[in-house]
Amino acid sequence: MMTAPHTPALLEARALCFLRQDEPVFGPIDFALHGGEIALVEGDNGSGKTTLMRVLTGMLRPGEGEVLLDGAPFSLDTVAGAVVFLGHHLGLKFDMTPRENLRLAAGLYGLRSGTDENAVLREVGLAGYEDEPVRQLSAGQKKRAALARLLLLPARVWLLDEPYANLDREGIALVNRLLEQHAARGGAALVTSHGAVSFAGGEPRRIRLHA
Amino acid sequence: MTPGSTPAACAALLRRDLTLAWRRRGDIAMPVLYAVIVTTLFPFAIGPEPALLARIAGGVVFVIVLLAILLSLDHLFRGDIDDGSMELLMLAPQPLALLVGMKILAHWITSSLPLIVVAPVLASMLKLPPEAMPVLVIALLLSTPLLCLLGAVLVALTAGSKRSGMLLALMLLPLCVPVVIFAAGALAAAQEGLSWVAPIAWLGAGLAMALVLAPLACAAALRIAMDT
Repeated sequence: MMTAPHTPALLEARALCFLRQDEPVFGPIDFALHGGEIALVEGDNGSGKTTLMRVLTGMLRPGEGEVLLDGAPFSLDTVAGAVVFLGHHLGLKFDMTPRENLRLAAGLYGLRSGTDENAVLREVGLAGYEDEPVRQLSAGQKKRAALARLLLLPARVWLLDEPYANLDREGIALVNRLLEQHAARGGAALVTSHGAVSFAGGEPRRIRLHA
Repeated sequence: MTPGSTPAACAALLRRDLTLAWRRRGDIAMPVLYAVIVTTLFPFAIGPEPALLARIAGGVVFVIVLLAILLSLDHLFRGDIDDGSMELLMLAPQPLALLVGMKILAHWITSSLPLIVVAPVLASMLKLPPEAMPVLVIALLLSTPLLCLLGAVLVALTAGSKRSGMLLALMLLPLCVPVVIFAAGALAAAQEGLSWVAPIAWLGAGLAMALVLAPLACAAALRIAMDT
């Protein structure tokens, strides 16, 4: 019907919308995210940013429309570790240390070549806290421990729900730096935020959700 | 093992769950303590007649172990769902059923294995004849994983609701009945010097079926629970 693009988009949404008890939560929205692209999802509180993220991970079934990964329809069974999701719940075990938490993630998803647990923890600024239980870290440090997971795993698509929450100025710069590196490696990322965000590298793509 | 491969993932998850359980040793000790206390109270409540105690010993131990397992079952997936680890597991390259199976295995090791270790002691407190002891252990080795697997399905089914404890107990009861009947039946047969192979074989068959089907059912139920 149409000529295929040279490379299919890493993550693509077509007429995606989500209904909760027949009430539309968001959509329909269309976007295509190619390798090296970062998009910012904007919307007020309650406009469905988190819901969109959960639909894109495959955990929520979209009401209508479809999500494509590498040009193929995807579900939880076919995602195969290509997507990593960081939500409000950080997925950290508080009784374990950042290093142990990373070890589980690496065991499940595999390691990005050329990284290891110590290197990524140093990179997110947790050097010296590797073996402290996560419970004893501050909220910002917990967030950093979760961000370290993004660096460690080979996933190509990052879905970050409010990654800037709880972070200081330096932490925000860190998130921006991680996103830039990820884009430079050919990965794609979708970032939600309800506030004004200053990306270091100029103006990002914006996807607006209306309440 | 290369990280990201299926064996590495299973090992990593098993190790994490066992480490977490070890860091909260008090929670492991709870069901064992409960079993010891209840068993100790039995002779005081019904009188110290060796013949009577020996007759009810098997049934009492099975029911106590079952209730002790029920106590700990509710936490099986709760922690992972609350802190977002479940999302990490669901998006992992490995089949969710396999990972859930590992979690159930870790749960069985931490909740049931200590109970199986103390069960012969409890049974001898109730004057169970020594020759029936191996049958007790075999029956427990087969029935406790079966209960954990059946329970895990129900825990997964009720994971979406906030107060699932009561519902869980109510739903688990009819599923427990056949397990208790076969396990206690094997022990009663052994005490009377009859062949106890048939009920044990039934338990084994049930376990084989649950090993295959329960993790799949759990994974499906957890996906529904997260779909809210």
